[in-house]
Amino acid sequence: MKRRKLDLAQVPANIGKGADDRYQVATPLRALLNKVFPDHWSFLLGEIALFSFIVLLLSGVFLTLFFDPSMREVTYDGPYTALRGVEMSAAYESSLRLSFEVRGGLFMRQMHHWAALLFMASIVVHMARVFFTGAFRKPREANWTIGIILFLLGFFAGFTGYSLPDDGLSGTGLRIASAIMLSIPVVGTWLSAAVFGGEYPGELIIGRFYIAHVLLIPGGLLALISVHLGLVFKQKHTQWPGPMRTNDNVVGERMFPRYALKQGGFFMAVFGTVALLAGLFQINPIWLFGPYLASAVSSASQPDWYVMFMDGLVRLMPAWQIDFPIGDGYVLPPLFWPAVVGLGALFTLPMLYPTIEARRLKDTKSHHILQRPRDAPERTGVGAMAFTFFMIATISGANDVIADKFHISLNAMTWAGRIGLVILPPLAYVISVRICLGLQQHDREVLAHGVETGIIRRLPDGRFEEVHQPLGPVDEHGHPLPLDYAGWVVPKKMNRVGALGPAIKGFFFPIEKPAEAPVSPAVPPVSGSTREEIISGR
Amino acid sequence: MTVTHEGSHGHGGHGSGSGTKPVDVNDPKLSRFDIVREGARRDDIEIVTYESQFEGRNSKAEKRVVRNISLLFIISGLAALAFVVFFIVWPWKFELGHTLSDYYTPILGITLGISLFALGFAILAWAKKLLPHEVSIQDRHNQPSSDEDRLITGQTMAYLVDELGVQRRPLLKGAIALGMAPLGLAAAAPLIGGLIENPHKGDEPMMYHTGFDPVPQDGKLVHLTREDGSPVRPEDVSVGGQITVFPGIPGGASNKYADSPTLLVHLREQDAAEARAASETDKVNKGFMHGNYVAYSKICTHAGCPASLYEQQTNRLLCPCHQSQFLITDNARPIFGPASRRLPMLPLELDDEGYFVAASDYREAIGPDFWERP
Amino acid sequence: MTSDTPAGRRFRVFNRRRSAPSRARRRVGAAVRMLAALALAGGVYTAFAPGAFAQDDKQLSTAAQEGQALFNNSCITCHGPQAQGVEGRGPSLVGVGSAAVEFQVGTGRMPMTRQEAQAEQKRPVFDETQTKQLGQYIQELGGGPQIPAGSLTQDIKQNPEALANGGELFRLNCAQCHGNVGAGGALSSGKFAPSLHDPSPQQIYGAMLTGPQNMPVFGDNELTPEQKTEIITYITQQIQDDKDPGGLFNLGGYGPATEGLAIFVVGITILVFASLWIAGKS
Repeated sequence: MKRRKLDLAQVPANIGKGADDRYQVATPLRALLNKVFPDHWSFLLGEIALFSFIVLLLSGVFLTLFFDPSMREVTYDGPYTALRGVEMSAAYESSLRLSFEVRGGLFMRQMHHWAALLFMASIVVHMARVFFTGAFRKPREANWTIGIILFLLGFFAGFTGYSLPDDGLSGTGLRIASAIMLSIPVVGTWLSAAVFGGEYPGELIIGRFYIAHVLLIPGGLLALISVHLGLVFKQKHTQWPGPMRTNDNVVGERMFPRYALKQGGFFMAVFGTVALLAGLFQINPIWLFGPYLASAVSSASQPDWYVMFMDGLVRLMPAWQIDFPIGDGYVLPPLFWPAVVGLGALFTLPMLYPTIEARRLKDTKSHHILQRPRDAPERTGVGAMAFTFFMIATISGANDVIADKFHISLNAMTWAGRIGLVILPPLAYVISVRICLGLQQHDREVLAHGVETGIIRRLPDGRFEEVHQPLGPVDEHGHPLPLDYAGWVVPKKMNRVGALGPAIKGFFFPIEKPAEAPVSPAVPPVSGSTREEIISGR
Repeated sequence: MTVTHEGSHGHGGHGSGSGTKPVDVNDPKLSRFDIVREGARRDDIEIVTYESQFEGRNSKAEKRVVRNISLLFIISGLAALAFVVFFIVWPWKFELGHTLSDYYTPILGITLGISLFALGFAILAWAKKLLPHEVSIQDRHNQPSSDEDRLITGQTMAYLVDELGVQRRPLLKGAIALGMAPLGLAAAAPLIGGLIENPHKGDEPMMYHTGFDPVPQDGKLVHLTREDGSPVRPEDVSVGGQITVFPGIPGGASNKYADSPTLLVHLREQDAAEARAASETDKVNKGFMHGNYVAYSKICTHAGCPASLYEQQTNRLLCPCHQSQFLITDNARPIFGPASRRLPMLPLELDDEGYFVAASDYREAIGPDFWERP
Repeated sequence: MTSDTPAGRRFRVFNRRRSAPSRARRRVGAAVRMLAALALAGGVYTAFAPGAFAQDDKQLSTAAQEGQALFNNSCITCHGPQAQGVEGRGPSLVGVGSAAVEFQVGTGRMPMTRQEAQAEQKRPVFDETQTKQLGQYIQELGGGPQIPAGSLTQDIKQNPEALANGGELFRLNCAQCHGNVGAGGALSSGKFAPSLHDPSPQQIYGAMLTGPQNMPVFGDNELTPEQKTEIITYITQQIQDDKDPGGLFNLGGYGPATEGLAIFVVGITILVFASLWIAGKS
């Protein structure tokens, strides 16, 4: 039998041919490989969320191998001395077991929790980028909405997740969740009874939260993340304005070789950050919290940071109870407003924002070029307002820790939060709009008159004036012809236009380097001390 | 593989790949890059700049970068190896006190973190420093489909509706509504029906009854007990002291009776007089105190946390979850924070042996407020 | 006097707004108080000294006499002669027992530097012997709870359940104010429950027994002496001495608040710098 010689060089070609015969993939695959992505650091923030979601899936699967979502009463008999002999639920016991009796289990638990915090943090930072640059505008409104739903799903994934160990802290959170359900008019008690299977806490909630946390919510997240990325792919990424960049093209790097490689490296960096955080910083030491008891609580009981804004709003809410004196009487507890209405508004208002803005500006065009925040002062102001509101609410969610550690009266913190929540957001709006207008103004000035050189010259009549370096052509009098603003960074320093020595990259700011005198082979360079100082622009 | 195609590039418009001419990919003279560029052209990509970051091949600078990247890969491998070794050999079982096992997690985190970071930065440096610098322009193709195409798709969809003929056949329309709506209900029924629980069912609706209710105990008054089930006598609580008490029934201190934990406080003479005066003038709380002792529900009326931070000088109870503050000497009226309703008071009595019992169940609903609370 | 301790410094920094406008008034107030104290001390001395000395000599032990001398120097201003208390300034100390003195003076809370929401812990003014002497004086004056002699912790090798029992009691009775991790917590209007990372077993015992400031009293009926020692065992062994697993740093034990701060300050910062580098022009 003739032995066929294997030509290694032909192997990829043969595989490719075989695949294309069956699936006709060559053309779409080429289009996939040949996709151009714009390159800017702020476009990588969303990737952090994507990559930490992958870390969450990986570490979460590990945890399910050891976790027992049951509220059966057991007695702890493990290596952790301070809980030995204590009655607890099987869920808490198995969380302790996976922390102390599974090699590397505690590390995985901490990775999972830190990755969750990072997931939510990067979503918020990414959303801020999208908002302030106007990337949510047509045609990307749907993706903006999906992003908000992703945050909401992450919020519930986090809440159900940190409730699972059934420790003292998470039980307190569950109690508050049940109180929030109870506060809803008419259906409150029915809703709480349905979720908890009767009276709080019952024996079902951990099992129900478990299936929500490991199947329903991650399923939703996975589906929506796929759609989110699919839309980014289909609509192609937005880009900053700049040379060659138009609303109809994408300027950047092709997916292969550079872009994909960078993504892979960044994934490793995200993974590494989560691993470092998990190794260096303890998170949620459930063994110190003890099993959940309805009678026990710890000071500084707070939810994880992405729920803290809601807790803060609940703390700041004045005790305004509404009574309905009909029949036996009905009440609307104050908890309803911040927890149910507040949460609802915080998610629906941002969803509506693209429509509101488009309608206000009568803007029906598609936008693929981003706007600098200064060029849309009102949007930036609204964003600053929302951000300030969120920050005050979040800080108020930890106001007892702040009051204690900085020796401020707790009651004063609450009042500061209440007043701040009303006064500071509008103030933030006004201030940021003014800042935006000021920056716009300066951009226009530089375009009209040139860069400030820092050189002062005295005119024959005794006046002093600063010499400006025109950025473009000048008219016959030497006055610069006004330039149009292109929506992008205007050079405002001489070294940016190449007139002074280059800026050396410093860590935060460029370090200004004095200009080197040109070296000519004929004339040896002058030494520093004898160098003539520039005294005039002329 | 160095190409520089500088040149003013106007508006993208159609076929931004038109900057390069189409080539015959079967031409054996073409380099691999030429074929790649032809592919890019067909996808409307113009590779404007694609140039090596180094002067010539094997330059000194390039070698240095390659060395650094290799070093990063090796560091990554070593750290990963260290991770595995420490994972196996380092003592990891929990021990009380300051022991080596406390450093198990940090060591895993640091070694894995270093390994992943080194790998990440090796790959990034490769992409950033070693691969040729590139600027490509791709056409966005954001022109809407042609009017013809839109028309065809629209007509196709309308055609579907036409063929079904629902518009023409009103009987069908009604039949669909009548036939399908119940099916939707049938799909939802198991979920809703299975989950739903009547919160007001039975003689002892859960929202209004706690473990202190004597009715399920055949009318026997329920003791106030400690968490271990031992009953409490008045002298067990010092002046200015408090203890958490539970109903003295099986499982009374467990989460089965999550609404029952109660705070029993022994007030100072003066404060007690004040508290008594306040409770005697109250419709519900009249006669609920026993001497200088007063018992309030520990479950906050705001969100249900145990409001148990008892300040014995100011006679306040503070809830650690949302900082509601209640004044013990005035029927536990809320004086600060988001709580709008006072803590219910438990009527106290002594039994024949001198132990505290609850004279009846709480007379007000326990815990977080809800709509139908009378 | 507090100015050298970190707590004192912090206090000044964060309370500047509250205290600055009344500085002049405070100075005047301090001078008035000082004068009043001097007048009072002098008056008390001339009124009572000859007789009182003769009488006390019979009753008080040597240590108590030393304590009385210290009392008359440092405490009499607010707590009055014979520790009867001064209206609006300091409570009567009759019947508080040596446990209260040893806690208040031993942790530096007394003597107070000024009237405020809550006496701050600072460097003790009196050494251990002097504290004991003061305690002895108050004890002999009016009786009251005493911190028992001997070890106040349990040997968990002999009694392994002590730690778990102590933990359960801690979470039910102490954690609501001091926190599960013992980091302390805020109370209403500027009051607070201090951190449990520093106090000695004696001080913890004294605090439980006497209920200093706004802390409720945990007498021997609420928590038996054995239960108290179990709680102290839990605090010293688990909260103070144990290096908790799960990381080099525990972020202060303040829970999700500092964890949330860390994810932005560490996690997001690292990754933003990484993305700046990735997308930066090389």
